[in-house]
Amino acid sequence: MIFFLIKRFLQAVLVLVGVSFSTFIVAHLTGDPVELMARENASLEDKQALREFLGLDRPLAEQYLTFVGKAVQGDLGYSFVQRASVTELIAERLPATLELAAAGFLLALLISVPLGIIIALKRNTVWDVVVTALAMVGQAAPGFWIGLMLVVLFAVELKWLPVSGYGGPMYLILPAITLALQSAARLTRLVRASMLEVLNADYIRTARSKGLRERTVLFIHAFRSAMIPVVTMAGLELAELVSGAFITETIFAWPGVGRLAVNAVYQRDFPLIQGVVLLAAVFFVLINFLVDVLYVVIDPRVKLK
Amino acid sequence: MRLNRRWATRLFTVAALSLTLPGLTPVWAQDAKPVIIASSEDVISLDPHMLDSNNPTGSVIWSIFDSLVRRGPDGASVPRLATEWTRMDDLTWRFTLRQGVTFSNGEAFNAQAVVVNFARMNTAPFNSVQQLHDQTGLKEVRVIDDYTIELVTEKPTVNMLYWLAEAFIAAPAYITDTSPDAVASAPVGSGPYVLAEWKRGDSLKLTANENYWGGAPAVKTVIFRAVPEVSSRLNELRAGTVDMVVGITPDSADQANSDVSDLVKIEGLRKMHMGISIKGEQPALADPRVRQALNYAVDVPTIVASLMGGSTSPLLSIVNPPNNNPALVPFAYDPEKAKALLAEAGFPDGFPLTIQWSTRFDGGKEVSEVVGAYLEQVGIKPSYEAMEIGQFREGLSKASLKGIYFQGWAALINPSVELVILTCGHVDNSSGYCNPDYDKLVIEASQTLDDAARQKLEFAAQEIIWNDAPWLYLWRLPSFFGISKTLSYDFRADNYLEPYLITYK
Repeated sequence: MIFFLIKRFLQAVLVLVGVSFSTFIVAHLTGDPVELMARENASLEDKQALREFLGLDRPLAEQYLTFVGKAVQGDLGYSFVQRASVTELIAERLPATLELAAAGFLLALLISVPLGIIIALKRNTVWDVVVTALAMVGQAAPGFWIGLMLVVLFAVELKWLPVSGYGGPMYLILPAITLALQSAARLTRLVRASMLEVLNADYIRTARSKGLRERTVLFIHAFRSAMIPVVTMAGLELAELVSGAFITETIFAWPGVGRLAVNAVYQRDFPLIQGVVLLAAVFFVLINFLVDVLYVVIDPRVKLK
Repeated sequence: MRLNRRWATRLFTVAALSLTLPGLTPVWAQDAKPVIIASSEDVISLDPHMLDSNNPTGSVIWSIFDSLVRRGPDGASVPRLATEWTRMDDLTWRFTLRQGVTFSNGEAFNAQAVVVNFARMNTAPFNSVQQLHDQTGLKEVRVIDDYTIELVTEKPTVNMLYWLAEAFIAAPAYITDTSPDAVASAPVGSGPYVLAEWKRGDSLKLTANENYWGGAPAVKTVIFRAVPEVSSRLNELRAGTVDMVVGITPDSADQANSDVSDLVKIEGLRKMHMGISIKGEQPALADPRVRQALNYAVDVPTIVASLMGGSTSPLLSIVNPPNNNPALVPFAYDPEKAKALLAEAGFPDGFPLTIQWSTRFDGGKEVSEVVGAYLEQVGIKPSYEAMEIGQFREGLSKASLKGIYFQGWAALINPSVELVILTCGHVDNSSGYCNPDYDKLVIEASQTLDDAARQKLEFAAQEIIWNDAPWLYLWRLPSFFGISKTLSYDFRADNYLEPYLITYK
């Protein structure tokens, strides 16, 4: 276990260095942020002064090493555009993103797991066809369209819920549903497929022939094995949600990390881009680690080495 | 398994709780109801000397701070912290300052405050954004007494009042003693509102300055909200949960009309055109006859009617009304004349032409393709190229774009600034146009203090450039606003909002 942790930690460091380096290079490849930041009729001297002020006149290697040196100490630098510390900007946005991601993710699980199991058990019935078809539609329909339709119905026409914004729990409902429907569509189909595969396995037949109650067969024997691919998928979904659901955040004016990231890219705000990408990478690494640990809980045959 | 079940129960409880908490919907008396304004962008920085955009950041700065002079919606200069001004000689302006004004932290406004603020504007990084010194040649602020200052310029300038309107005065001791990063989030000014709360990326709340020298504003609480998606902003307006919407696209404008809200159309100030790159990859564009031919080849009124829903009108000059030369008329749609001019210039079979636009600009692709289709009718062979905004702006500032490019410029009412952009080698002269006769008129005008004489020079310059056609002239970019039926407000063409002028119906 200790060995596994050390190995994982070293891998994580490698991933983060790789991510930060490629982000740095790709960001700088897009061009000069001063062209976007300086006022429309700034002179060449003004632009050069701004470049020096931002430290963009120094050699790239030096800029990168300074960034890494500070990042290790938890200082991600200052946003070019917003003139505020990157860690502060991210910390301001992170709670909103986590809240939305958690709500969306839980809702997706609450919908997809029971639904997937039910239609797996009722395979080839009307229920199966209807739910599978709905899941296909849910997966195919763009998230922004679902979101806008929900807004028009529940906020503009019925006035039950706010249109957009960030405040109490009422504000959370529509964006969480929008996110959850997309994830749920994918997960439902996976749960169904994975349950069906397990239900046809020899050990389930053995369990049934031992005379175990159907409920025990389903929930103790089948469900547990069927969950392994679902956990992997769900982990990826969660990681994506946490690193910012940009489109949903945009439609619902949700002040999360996704919008921060996209605006940073638009404005070529290099320190902010690097900070947000690094954060997303950290979450991916963390969630993957948790998924690995969950495997052990679900399947005792898996050993962490 | 037991572990899993316990987790599941716990998570479910949290989820259920978070969904059942009651939403907070405050009830307001009609006249105390906050006015909520939705814009597409976030407020960026509240440092008054880093201001580079009109809404929402500019609207907030205009509300928290005062400038010496206010720019009226028609471009006229109106007293603000300066009560009156006179020109002492060609290089010197004298301003009488308003007495009894205090900043929201209790500091007093006086001549020294102006000195401190103007000095700060002229240092990096502020001087890459602030235009006062660059544009007016301001070199000295003289203190005559506590409430009188003189501004001395290097050369005579006609633009002093214009740029003073964008030079905001913050509490002098505060900005001297506070780090720029702190100033950017905790502004101290003397304007009609003070900052109450700023949730970055979400909303910003202003409350009325009850001691404002110009009288307390009618609206006591103003909330600027960032709602990036235009359909979401319109949904908010229709649901009655925001009171004003800025940044509505032409195709969705009608949705601002509902039983609780109205659409307001304003003919904007940004002059949309296809810039013609004279030193680009197509040498034919160096011939003014070719550039005129491009203008004759495109039916601008028809594009305005079809693509823009008739919401604006064709350009009348490179200078915005009311300062445009009334003798100039738009190029007529005349493809035969265009072909004749091309033949005369030695291109009877046309030539290949690259049309570029920035993906950031709404409608760039559509306009480029329609213009291209018209040009094809007179034998020109267009190709199309979408560009990332940074590369596009780099191409503009280096005058290195390929052929013609969709662009809007100089969203202001100031003939001197609007004209100087197209002088030889000017940093904004993206088309590479250069005509010494034009430059002579423009420079002379910018130093001519007599209004009638200056106007004559400006009209002559406008006529030269109109016919030299460094642009394929299109239209003024219209602005659309949505407003609640309970409010009244006159929107400005430059998109700044001044909430202290909003009233309840």
